[in-house]
Formats: sequence, structure tokens, C-alpha cells
Amino acid sequence: MSIALALLLLAAQSPAAPPAKLAASIARVFGAGARVDTLRVDTTRVLRVSRADSLIGFAAVGNVLGKDQPITFLVAVDAMDRLKDVDILVYREPYGGEVAYEPWRRQFRGKRASDSLRVGKEIRSISGATISVHAVTLAVRQMLADLTAWHQSEAIR
Amino acid sequence: MRTLLGLGFLVLIAPCPLQLLAAQERTTVGGYGEVHYTNPTGPKSPPVVNLARFVVYLAHSFDDGLAFRSELEVEDAKVEGGQAGGEVAVEQAYLDYRLGDWITLRTGLVLAPVGIINETHEPPTFNGVDRPGFDHDVIPTTWRDIGIGAVGTIPGGSGLAYRVYLVNGLRAQGFSAGEGIREGRQEGRQASFANPSLTGRLEWARPGVKIGGSFWYGGTADTNAAVGTGSFGAPVALLSADARYESGPFTARAVVANISVSDARAINAAYGQSVGSRIAGGYIEGAYNLLRLVAPASSQKLNAFLRHERYDTQASVPAGVTRDRSLARRITTFGVTYKPTWNTAFKGDYQLLRNAAGAGELEVLSLGVGYQF
Repeated sequence: MSIALALLLLAAQSPAAPPAKLAASIARVFGAGARVDTLRVDTTRVLRVSRADSLIGFAAVGNVLGKDQPITFLVAVDAMDRLKDVDILVYREPYGGEVAYEPWRRQFRGKRASDSLRVGKEIRSISGATISVHAVTLAVRQMLADLTAWHQSEAIR
Repeated sequence: MRTLLGLGFLVLIAPCPLQLLAAQERTTVGGYGEVHYTNPTGPKSPPVVNLARFVVYLAHSFDDGLAFRSELEVEDAKVEGGQAGGEVAVEQAYLDYRLGDWITLRTGLVLAPVGIINETHEPPTFNGVDRPGFDHDVIPTTWRDIGIGAVGTIPGGSGLAYRVYLVNGLRAQGFSAGEGIREGRQEGRQASFANPSLTGRLEWARPGVKIGGSFWYGGTADTNAAVGTGSFGAPVALLSADARYESGPFTARAVVANISVSDARAINAAYGQSVGSRIAGGYIEGAYNLLRLVAPASSQKLNAFLRHERYDTQASVPAGVTRDRSLARRITTFGVTYKPTWNTAFKGDYQLLRNAAGAGELEVLSLGVGYQF
């Protein structure tokens, strides 16, 4: 699993999301006016989102390789480690862009790290977008596991 | 798909989410292929094994917007002068310039965005050892030509995506009664651009659902004034619709197409053929993942499927042509596809090849393996 993911995930030189797009995504997921602080766990930056001094969740941006281009995505969790939403920040490939559609991303909402997230089971696939569907599902599962582990070990709080 | 970069295997999520990092050039290699065992009934027809396709996918991104993508195919394992079969061909080779989610400009050798199999033809993506007959005789898969166009998604969360191209046209000289427009394709080989053609597709997607509509319109006369004159001389007009559905262990797909060759009479007169003036048909296929019954936790698949095709390359004929009823084909295929992973497939199927004339009917047992990465 970790080896497969290592092959899929791109390295340090992967492109990031334009700041405006990231800010808009955070505002959409957590509501406008939330405060965002940047934390660091190892080499990953985690965004801590709060409102009126109380924690409302965390978010992190990742890249995963689709057929030949990185897909830049955001995973947001609430303060109880439930997945709040997934966002596709930048999609660069000619096919498979359906992973950015809300009806597909919606399937991840409310999931926990302990929940099963498999294509064809909990996550319905989209014909013609198979590679992206598998890549994003695997990457979201890993990101959700990381955020949950870090939160429970108080590496982020 | 492997990324050919020294650092490509490190896991490092979001090193710098709030900064825009410069994109780096990257080359990607992939591929797909399939090996077939085919055993038709009847005397003097021994089983045949064939490395039907071996395809290398090569892509390179030059910067965040500009990318090259290609597929190089070897059919039937080798090509040798004077021997039947065998083909080396570039299936796709184009440059993409991405301006945004809503539009990517594309130019080069592109796939006609018609039906299901023509664009998505990797063996693990379809049931049955061989591609459906419909995707050979009606939609001339793999249909590709040189042109320019645009692809993208329609913004606003509509779930709609489009592709539209202006490409070099078909040549009526290659049309035939049995394979319709198939051998009219020029496939980017010193192709005549006398008859530019327009082709495009609109599709709508939801989890588990994809519905598409495609068209092709263009002249085919090339330089033969007896067949037609002008850019749109002897036009071919194709309309096609397709649907794919997936829910739990159940999957289904269907495609229909109608091709009108309005100047079939002139084409037949010029080239001594009996091309139909209308080519039409379709297929419907359903599959059920049997592993859902015996091993519900497994992510592997064992799809039992049934497909029924009906098509006629002489659905209508021009004056002077007597319909050959053996061209009104009915093909029933049933079998299993075992997929240990989503991108590998072991296949077995049995085909009943029938036609309205009852002539030359046969049955075929096929086995095959396929992969993509």
C-alpha cells in the first residue's frame, strides 16, 4: 500500500495550488471568515482552521499522479476527524476531469480514517475516468489517515 | 504509469501549499496490450494465438500548460514484407495546450471522439477478448486522423464535457459493403486534406453514469469529381449515442450509431463497390461481478457478461445495389472477465456470429489477457 502510494504521489517539485484557489476552497468548505494557521508535520503543511478561537478542522493539499499529470487536491476534516470535503484544486489532464465534479467528491463526506474507502464499493467509479478515480481515492484515504493520526497524537491540535 | 524523475518516488505531500511552485518537465511511459487465443468452429479453422496489440504510451509535459501525448502500436506481434497481418502505427500523437478546465487546445493525430471503445480501448476497460464487431464495422475503431480542436469541461458543475475537432476527412475510395467506412480512414498517413471533417462529442457524467453523444460530418470525394465536388462532396454524416452504468456489482453499457452515406450510388459507380447508403446498429451489454456473491470484501472482479450486437452495413442501399442480407449481423457474446486488479484482465468468451441470410455463421471460443499501466 505505502509503496503503491509512493509511486503515485509526486515529489517535492510537484506544483501547488494557486493561493486564491486554495483560499476559495477553504472558504467554501469551512465557511467564510474562518481563521487559517499553518502548522508543519514533518514535511507536510497542515492548515488549522478555527473560528472565534475554537478549532473547526484541518486541511492539507496533496498531489497524486493521474495518467501523466499531477492532480492537486485538498482534503478537509472537521475537529472530530470526519472528512468534511475533498476538493480538486488543479486538474491538468485531458481525460478524467470528472473527479472534480461535486456528485463524485460528495461520496467522501463524513468518512473516517477507520472507514473503508474503495473504488467500486464505497466510492462509485466514473467510466472513462478510471485512472483518476483510483488515484484520488487512494490519495484521499492516505491523507485522511495522516491527518487523523497526527490529530490523535497531538502533532496537530 | 511511472514518472521518470529521480525524485519521483518520494512521498511528500504539499510541501508548500501557499506558494506556486514552478512546474518541471516530466516524461511518462505507460502502455497496454492484449494476447488472444481464438478458436472458431468448423473444419479447416484451427485455433489461432496472436499478440493482438502491444502499445507504448509516451507523454511529456513541457510546462504547466503544454503537454505531448502519444501511443505507438504494434499489431500482431511483427510486421514482415509479403506476410498477412501485422501493423506498426501511431494511434495518437498530439500536443495539448491547457488554458483552463473549460478548454484545452489540441492538435496532431487525434482519436475521433465517437462511441465508447474508440477513445477508451485499453483491454481491461471492456468485456470480451476482442472489441465488439460493431466497433470494427460500424464505428471504425481505432478511428484517428490529423486535425485541430478543443476539449474541456463546461463550467458550473454541470457534469458536461466536450471535445470538438476539425480533422482530415475520409476517402470514399476505401468504403466497402461489409466494413462500411472503415477503410476510408486515412489515419494520418500522407492524408489528403481535400475534405476537412468536423467531429465532436458531448458527454454527461455522474458517479456510475456516463452518457454521451457524438457526431462526424465531412466530405469523402477527395479529388474524384465523379463522386462529388467541393469540400463536403459525397458527405458522410454520423450520429452516435452511448451510455455506461455501474452500480455495485452490476455494470451495463450500450451504443448506437447511424451513418448516412448520401452519395453511395456515385461512390459505388466510381469504385465498383456496393456501399450501403445507411450503416446502422448498436449493442447492449450487461455484466455482474460474481465475486460479490462469494467474496464480497474482495476488490477483485469476476464479471460474467452478455452482449448482443445488431448492425447492418447495408441498412439501406442505393439504387442498383441488392442488399446482401449476410451483412445484417447479429452477434451474441457471453463470457467472463477476471480482473485481479482494475488494470489487468483475464478473459474468456463464446461468440455466436449470426446474420439475416444465415450464411457463413459460426461460433468462436476466445481466451485472452490484457493489461494497461
